[in-house]
Amino acid sequence: MAAADIPSAALRHHDLCSRGIRLARKMRSDVTDLLDIYVERQGLDASISVAAVDGVPAAAAERWAEQSGTQRLLDNLAAYRAFRTLLAQMLEEQREQLGDADAELGPALAAVLLQVSAFAYHLEELLELESRGAPAEEGSEPPAPPRLSLFEQKLRGLGVLRELAQWAVRSVRDLRQLAKHGPGTTLEGSGTALGLPESQ
Amino acid sequence: AQRHSQQDSHIQYERVGADVTMKCGSMDWDAAVTWTANGTDIDDSHLNGSYLILKNVDLTQSGQYSCYEGSSWHLKYQTNLRVGVPPKEPVLMCRSNNYPKGFYCSWHLPSPTYIPNSFNISVIHGTREMVCEKDIFPKNRCHIRYLQLFSTVKYKVTLTVTNALGKNSTTLTFDEFAIVKPDPPESVVAKPVPNNPRRLEVSWQNPSSWPDPESFPLKFFLRYRPLILDQWQHVELSDGTSHTITDAYAGKEYIIQVAAKDNDIGTWSDWSVAVHATPWTEEPKHLTTEIQIIGETLTQHKPLALRGPGYGDPSAGGVW
Amino acid sequence: PQNLKCVTHNLRKMVCTWDISSKRRHGQTEFCYTIDDVIPKCFKTKEKKVEIPVPGSSTTVKITTYSISGTAFATRHFEIHKKDISFVPLAPRILSLTPDFSTSTLTLKWSDNGSAFPYGLDASWEIEILRKETMEDVTRESYNSKLTHEDIIHSWNWKSDMPLECTSHYARIRHYINITQFDGHKDWSDWSPVEVVPGKDTEPSGSGLFPQDTVVAVGSNVTFCCVHEEGRQVQRMSYGAKDYPLIRLSSRSSAIRVLNASASDASGTNIVCRMSENGMDGTVLFVGYGPDTPEDLSCETSNFVIIKCTWKPGRASGLYGVRGTKYSLIESISGKNVSCEVNEMKKERVCGFPVLADQKTYSFVLGVSNPIGQTEASLLVDLNQRVNPETPEKLTVSENSSTSVRLRWFINGSFAEIRLLCQIEISSAHSEQKLHNVSMPGGKFSTYTAQLNALHPYTKYRFRVRCSAADHFWRWSDWSGTEEHTTLEA
Repeated sequence: MAAADIPSAALRHHDLCSRGIRLARKMRSDVTDLLDIYVERQGLDASISVAAVDGVPAAAAERWAEQSGTQRLLDNLAAYRAFRTLLAQMLEEQREQLGDADAELGPALAAVLLQVSAFAYHLEELLELESRGAPAEEGSEPPAPPRLSLFEQKLRGLGVLRELAQWAVRSVRDLRQLAKHGPGTTLEGSGTALGLPESQ
Repeated sequence: AQRHSQQDSHIQYERVGADVTMKCGSMDWDAAVTWTANGTDIDDSHLNGSYLILKNVDLTQSGQYSCYEGSSWHLKYQTNLRVGVPPKEPVLMCRSNNYPKGFYCSWHLPSPTYIPNSFNISVIHGTREMVCEKDIFPKNRCHIRYLQLFSTVKYKVTLTVTNALGKNSTTLTFDEFAIVKPDPPESVVAKPVPNNPRRLEVSWQNPSSWPDPESFPLKFFLRYRPLILDQWQHVELSDGTSHTITDAYAGKEYIIQVAAKDNDIGTWSDWSVAVHATPWTEEPKHLTTEIQIIGETLTQHKPLALRGPGYGDPSAGGVW
Repeated sequence: PQNLKCVTHNLRKMVCTWDISSKRRHGQTEFCYTIDDVIPKCFKTKEKKVEIPVPGSSTTVKITTYSISGTAFATRHFEIHKKDISFVPLAPRILSLTPDFSTSTLTLKWSDNGSAFPYGLDASWEIEILRKETMEDVTRESYNSKLTHEDIIHSWNWKSDMPLECTSHYARIRHYINITQFDGHKDWSDWSPVEVVPGKDTEPSGSGLFPQDTVVAVGSNVTFCCVHEEGRQVQRMSYGAKDYPLIRLSSRSSAIRVLNASASDASGTNIVCRMSENGMDGTVLFVGYGPDTPEDLSCETSNFVIIKCTWKPGRASGLYGVRGTKYSLIESISGKNVSCEVNEMKKERVCGFPVLADQKTYSFVLGVSNPIGQTEASLLVDLNQRVNPETPEKLTVSENSSTSVRLRWFINGSFAEIRLLCQIEISSAHSEQKLHNVSMPGGKFSTYTAQLNALHPYTKYRFRVRCSAADHFWRWSDWSGTEEHTTLEA
């Protein structure tokens, strides 16, 4: 990378990180609202616990602090690509189950799906900047959703949205870590960090 | 006669209100004996033969009870009676003031039992049991290290309290984010701004218990009011640890507090220690004009009601 | 020997039994009988039971018991008349007990063994349904038939008030044959051996909440059951937000009963079973209404390309998505069938059917169905009498003279087979609004013209046009757009 490019790469990295943080925080807020609509529309008890759902990327991370910047981006990208498929499946299920009676849940789901897609694209940009390039998407056809009863389907949707809400928070933290260490850093703690405005 | 007390006494726990009967060791029912409580003879009205009968015992009847053989004054029986009650459901609270390192749980009994209690705490996260390391001080507290972050799996903490008279327990179930509550901001300082009669400069620091403010930044809530008014004014600050109040009433002493919250999760801290400050004022020229101005200015300012700590801030039972 | 009793199962043979009163050990018994005064027959038996023919009128019997050593020690004579003989048909045999889990229906099949009996006898059957581990009696139902001297296989259905998966269901049957010409005592047969449909709670890994994702009518009573693994307990079962008292069916199955179910939300009402060790299972119930018979079914065409049928749906079903009400339009003359895309939330219901070549009359049946019920409405239509043309377009005015103009307009549609009646509205500032009717042969996606005379010169007029069928008026089209025109100066 030529000397003249370093500042612009750092600035671009910083800009992508801070825009990514804002997008992730907005997504989290919208997913939280969507969760309320979903629980109410599906007649579920908000405190119901949902076991880990197959095919839904878990936000839970062990030794999170030790992850490298690239690993963070790769984990995030894989997750949001998965959520893109999961939310599209949920949207299809809502149309099938609720049809014309749903004027609220479908649009809210579609809005979050848009944000997830945008965020995935954003992560790909960040990975491009890491001069790694985003991994190609595995295969064109997403895995067919499992055959579930309607109640299992409702719980699965709840599990997807809860996990997405957690991922949104994790992404904010991940992007902050990335912003702290600048582009192209694989190890924690190196690189200079540009201050990050936390504006809402 | 010399009382011989070679018998080592044991502890006997009884509930308040219970009827207690004590036998004089191996002595027959009709044997002549003397009972003492804490060294004082007990009159025969409490005896049934050689048995000591204590009806509807209360706390004051705790003490050392001894039985001596009538003639030889040999100590035949000695016990330490401890009157108390079984434990009520303990109050348990878990909180993370050093996220993302871990969280602590602390507990107390709603009412005393008057006898020793033992506490056992179990912390389950999904299928995993986590270690709750007891703190030396305060006693009724232990802390847990987060092994996983961003988990949707709930934590289940069960505290069991046991004493000789009974057992009770309480269970809390919560999400990782729900218990995140920083300590109040520290080193709050408020200063007048020279030549600015309506400004006050407030600064503070992140609570020292918050381990990584850079990766887990806090946002703050400032409230201030002149001592002469009850209504607080608020301002929320999403970053930075200082703020300049620009609408202070000239010459009025202000009380100022700050609260903190993680930018993305959890709940607001308690309010910081209150600090006082008065905006910069010129040397007073004409006392009267000042009062007249105050009269006008008091009516102009409408307090800004905002949502923040202490304003209908939901707090789940036992969890902050 | 005493208490001689004879029972016949088939009116031909009878089984006679007796008791021996003495306590002494005895060897064989000699049984001699004389039927209808024919020569006696004797035979030895160790049993206290023999099978002999049913007598035409009566039978005399002599029973002699012998000691171990063979010396006779007791003899007894009996006279058996027809009326002393009991008729008890043999217990019927169940051929099959078949469950239909989707409808919670049991189908019982059995043979009436009619070939063993004379033609035309009335047979009464009792069918008993039992349930649970304790085989509790659920219901006993009657069924009548006529024996036809042939073995007829009967089939009988029973709809359970709870899903068949919940616990094992058992069935047994017995019958009574009313032989009027038989004088003796007549009685019910024994019960048949029990047939079982095992519940999920008997399968090693059987578990789940039943019924799964069903649809019922408002006001229904529904039983839900939670089947779980051995060792687990059901702690509570809720319907919507309310917990219901548990009914124990077996060690692995508990149920709740919901009475008079009210309409559910679009996403259905959740039934959740919470078990020990954080176990949970659930299902969804959709409670709605069957479709109302469509009212005011009406069909018309605006262009002789598509026939548009409209109707009033009646009460909303409360069911949506895949469970929503489906509409189909069947035309019985052509046999053509069209399914209609309908938005359940919109008041108006519309369905399009293609105009068929060379077919004037259409016999429509609008079929309406949802998981709760179905209904239909029908309509016979002569298309020529149901023309509501499209709105005239591209109205233009050209002048002919100071007192006449020529109007031209286009109508989207194929009206070649009818005459059109069009109405031109003429308005101007200082004269009354006039309507001018003009009729013309219809055309195929054509432009139409009309001449207006007797206008005032140099006058500003506003024209618009609408059309309808000339011969069988049905409805005017909407008015075209207005076209302004000032006539030439005189």
